[in-house]
Formats: sequence, structure tokens, C-alpha cells
Amino acid sequence: MKELIAELTETWGPSGNEDAVRKVIEKSITGHADEVRVDALGNLIVLKKGNVKKGVDKRRIMLAAHMDEIGVIVSHVDEKGFLRFSAIGGVFPPTLLGSRVQFGDGKIGVIGRERVVKPDEAPRMDKMFIDVGSPDKGHVGRRVGDAACFTRPFVDLGQRLVAKAFDDRIGCAVLVQTLLGLKTTPHDVYFVFTTQEEVGVRGATTSAFGVEPEIAVAVDVTLTGDTPEAPTMAVALGAGPAIKVKDRGMLAHVGVKNWMVSTAERLKLPYQFEVLDAGSTDGMAIQTSRAGVATGVLSIPTRYVHSPSEMVDYDDVRHSVELLLGMLSSPVSL
Amino acid sequence: MQIKDFMKQITEASGVSGYEGGVRELVRTELAAYSDEVRTDTLGSLIALKRGQRPDDVPQRSIMLAGHMDEIGLLVTKLEKGYLRFSTVGGFDLRVLLGQEVIVHGRRDFPGVIGTRPPHVLGPEDRDQVVPLDRLFIDVGLTEVELGKNIRVGDIVSLRREFTELAGGLVAGKAFDDRAAVACIDQCLQYLAGLRHTWDVYAVATVQEETGLKGALTSAFGIDPDIGVAIDVGHGNMLGVSEVDTVNVGGGPAIGFGPNIHPALYEQLTATASRYEISHQIDPIPGASGTDAWAMQVVREGIPTALISIPLRYMHTTVETISLKDIERIGRLLALFIAGLTEESAEQLGLAQQSSAT
Repeated sequence: MKELIAELTETWGPSGNEDAVRKVIEKSITGHADEVRVDALGNLIVLKKGNVKKGVDKRRIMLAAHMDEIGVIVSHVDEKGFLRFSAIGGVFPPTLLGSRVQFGDGKIGVIGRERVVKPDEAPRMDKMFIDVGSPDKGHVGRRVGDAACFTRPFVDLGQRLVAKAFDDRIGCAVLVQTLLGLKTTPHDVYFVFTTQEEVGVRGATTSAFGVEPEIAVAVDVTLTGDTPEAPTMAVALGAGPAIKVKDRGMLAHVGVKNWMVSTAERLKLPYQFEVLDAGSTDGMAIQTSRAGVATGVLSIPTRYVHSPSEMVDYDDVRHSVELLLGMLSSPVSL
Repeated sequence: MQIKDFMKQITEASGVSGYEGGVRELVRTELAAYSDEVRTDTLGSLIALKRGQRPDDVPQRSIMLAGHMDEIGLLVTKLEKGYLRFSTVGGFDLRVLLGQEVIVHGRRDFPGVIGTRPPHVLGPEDRDQVVPLDRLFIDVGLTEVELGKNIRVGDIVSLRREFTELAGGLVAGKAFDDRAAVACIDQCLQYLAGLRHTWDVYAVATVQEETGLKGALTSAFGIDPDIGVAIDVGHGNMLGVSEVDTVNVGGGPAIGFGPNIHPALYEQLTATASRYEISHQIDPIPGASGTDAWAMQVVREGIPTALISIPLRYMHTTVETISLKDIERIGRLLALFIAGLTEESAEQLGLAQQSSAT
């Protein structure tokens, strides 16, 4: 699974430019799906059909993980060939300093900063620029509207893994691995790899409308409270998949939450509850689709989210796959 | 049930956003007595249908009434040395949390109190400040070990407050935002029992309003009504707040007007109030109303929507104060308005013509 994770995180895919990521996923699921389609917004919708089982209610279940990552977009090219940019999604300016970004054609740029007047001044994005190493404007090869994202190699530290875009390629990897491991299920399960989550859960909004699920589980990253002087949050790396209770955008459906808890307890998997004061996931869009969807969220605890070096625990990842497999293999009653 | 008894029953019950189960059963029992069928949708909104009586040549039309039954609350974020750290569900006013009694919904319900450091041990700067959330904690009295066995991160906490009758027909308590609207809807159904109406009435106690108008959005999609009326609370007159920003407690329904409200529906409601001499007030709302009406208006292809506000003092505290008379008037206004709905009203609202075939 680590190879898949490495490939997924190193692939380029700022919001609205998810094609390369989608190709990696399509390749990895070949032969394991009953139906594969791509909708108008670029969501990859993969159906694994359920086997009718006597006495078991077949449910229509949607799993969602987003393919897009945060990035930057060129807003102006000056006479000397320096690029001004704005953010795609929640980019935290300090993480940009000293970083390199990559454009869709693989070309690299480095982030520079205007003269610092006050030494303790917080770095601002409008005081930064991208330098693509061009001697003049004529050789920049970039235009307004070009998107770029962080570039950083995947690193395997053994127990812990480090990469850019774990948000939410780790969710994509968990979904792929779950599909590959799911021998039979009594349910129709839609594995949906969504687009444009970082700019307002856009892909989940439309794919949920199209799929029309009864039950949904979004798989995404969450923050932790286990680093020095971190904000109060009872989520730690390595303590198991986090079962969401609430974030800024939604309250998890109690039935789905309990389904996750009872499955984890039955399989003796570690888990923790998550209350997140900032951010939300595809779950919030799916929840209010049409006449409402019973929606929960399975979160992978992740440190340094939205930086080029996000960190997850490999056991948390493996346990997340086992938890989903356990949930999908059995009847559901919410 | 009488307004006062029903208000006492539902406002003393717990029903924090996303966890409305307790109060929902009370509402179900009450609304079932005055409607034809009652169901709960996926997100938990309670939908009571009272069918209209219509001749065969009249097309089927429906109106949705929405009042939210969820209340703001708290939830446990961390267990720390025998105390509970917490966060808010919905927009709680931190200034009023200190010293409140709560119920922590753990493995069982535990009464608790919200404590903080006493003034004697505070420095002068801290003493003059609103206590921030990260300095507040809940004490249920359990030891650290027992606490860990009984309460977990994510457990919901509701505020505890008895319903109190003040003088002059006013009452005070918690969760009047927006269970007072559920009481209005109940009153409406009771009045309708004695009136003839052709439109179907969907009386909906919505969920998760305080966390993003979610129940109204999804229940309106499911019901697909011709028109929608949300009932919510509006700031009542109180000392220190400008008259411009408030409506009068005891002054009757505050009928909303503005971009969130369909102008013809506003006209029909005010005309009904005038015709039946129901004292009412106009409540101009220049933009987002922040109520279920805001969500309902843009469901599917759009729903002509109105908003009626119950004048209420001290919003989002546990001593929200209203006049019972206003609830009675809103219930009566809604019932008379519904009884007066015809194909002509639909036409005024620009609704597509429907064939009378059933």
C-alpha cells in the first residue's frame, strides 16, 4: 500500500486539475469495479455492486475522498518574469517560504519574498512571488491562470509517513485499498473520488446528487492535538482512525457514527472520537444532498495539515481500511 | 395541549443540534393528535401532514411550516484531570456560560456545572474579561478514573433550566429559540381542526438549524411544497437596544419583509392579519435572515417563502423571554392564512398552474 500512497501523494493535482490523480486511481482499481464513470465536474465514480443476501437490506452507500490538493494560481506576470499568485484553497502563507512549487507541465518555481521591513512581520502571500528562473518575461513560459502545487517527495519513516497532499490522497489510498480488499458486500458501494473539495466541497455536492446514496462516509484527514503546545484536541497520531462527532461544517449522523464504533469494537480496532473546531470535509455537502443523507466521517489523524510535509501514522491508515472493510461486509442498521 | 404546558414540556427537554431525539418524541406525540400522518426524515426532521379537504376540481397544493426544534449546546472535547473541556454546538454566548447548570449526556445523564477560576485568584486583567472557552470547564463530580469510564470525547452537553412564568403573560427559559415556533405550529394545527382548508399542510419541526439550516434544506427538498413559512425568533424590545433593531414582545407576529420573503406572500399574510384584527408588526430584514426561510427559499427550483418572527428577549441565553399571547396569535394567523389559500393565491405567487387531476 505504501507504493500506492507514494505515487498518489507525488502526483500533481491542485483543485480543478485532478486529471493526473484520477488516472493513477483508475489504473490501480482496474478489474475490481462493476462500473466506472466520470461526471461533469471530474469526479471519479466507481461502483462495486452488492450480492443479494437473504434477510439483509441492501443499502446504497457512498464513500468519498477528494483527489484535489491545495495550491497556488498565477495572477500576474511582471516585466522581469516574476509571478504573483493567489491561493487555491487554504494555503497558510508561512508554509510557502522556502518551498518549491510545480506546474502542470512539471516545471518548478521557487517562492521568494519582498524585502522584510519589520523582522517579526507575518509573511503575507501578496508580498511573495514565484521565480521560475527565467532571465526575462519572454522566457517565462507561464501565463495568468496557471496552477501549481507544492512539490515534495514522499518519505517513509517506518511507522510514520511524510508527504505533501496527504490531504486527501491518503483518503484516496484508503478507498482504493478498501475496494481491492472488498471481496463481497451485501450493499451497492460507490467509491467516489471527488474534485474541488479544497475550494468548497464542490465535487461532493454534485456527485452526491448524482449517486443519490442513503448512507455516506467521507474519508479525509483531521488535525491532532499531540504536538508541543498544540490547541486542545483529543486526537493523536497512532491512536487509531478518528470517528468524527463534529467539525465546523457538520455534525456526524449519530447512526453512522455508532455503526463505525460498533464495527471497530467488534474487530477490536483502536479508534478515537474527533471534535474539530476548524475545517470540514466532503461530508458536509453530502449530508444535505437532496432530502438528506445519513453521513459520517472517518478521519485519518494528520499533523501539519496544509503544509508540504504532512505526517500520518501507517497503523492508523491500515486500521482505517480494516474498519471500512468491516463496515461494508456486514448488514447496516442505523 | 395548552400552549403553556407544551412550552414547558418541550423547552425543558434536551435536543441539541444533531441530537434532537428526546424533544422529537414529545413533539411527535403532540402533533400526531392534530394531523393525519407523522414521519421522521433522514436527518431527523419531524414532518406532520394534515391533509386539505378539496373538491375534485381543485388541484393539490401544499404549504410547509418550519420551526426548528434543535437548541444550541456544548460537547466534550477533552477529559482533563477529572474535568471536562468543551466546545460549542451553535452560537453560544460565552458571557452567559459561566455558572450554568448542565446535563452531560454520557453513558447516562450526569448533572454538572460550568466552573472557572474564582475572582479571588484572578489578576486584575483577567477579572475584567469575558472568560474564554479554553478557561471554562465542566465539573460533574466524578473522580478522574470514574469520569473516564462514563464520559467520552464527543459526548453532548445540554443546558439545564426550568421553565418560569413571569408576570404579565411572559415566560422565560431555555431553547425558546426555536421551540416557541414549534408551539406556534402546534397552535396552528389546533385552530385548523375547526377550519376548512383545501391545501395540504406539512408542519415540520426541523433539525440542525443552529448548525447551518440543514433540516429545513433537506426536509423542504423531500416535501417539495408550493410555499414555505418559517417561524423563528426575532430580537424583542429590551433595555439598551435600539427600537430600530427590535420588535415588541406582546405586540403580535412580526411579519418579515425583504429579499428572503416573497412579496406577494408577505402581502397575503399581512392582509390576513388585518382582516381578522390580529395585532402584528413589520420586521424588515435587509439580507440573509439566518433562519430556515433562507434555506427553504432556494430548494429545488425555488419556493415562495415567508418568515414570521416571535418577539424574544435575551436570545441564545437560558432566560429567553417571550409572551404566550404572541404564540397564540401566530398560530391563529397561520391557520386563518392557510384556510384562505386558494388557486387565486397560488396565481398571485406566480406558481405554475396545475391540473386538477389527482
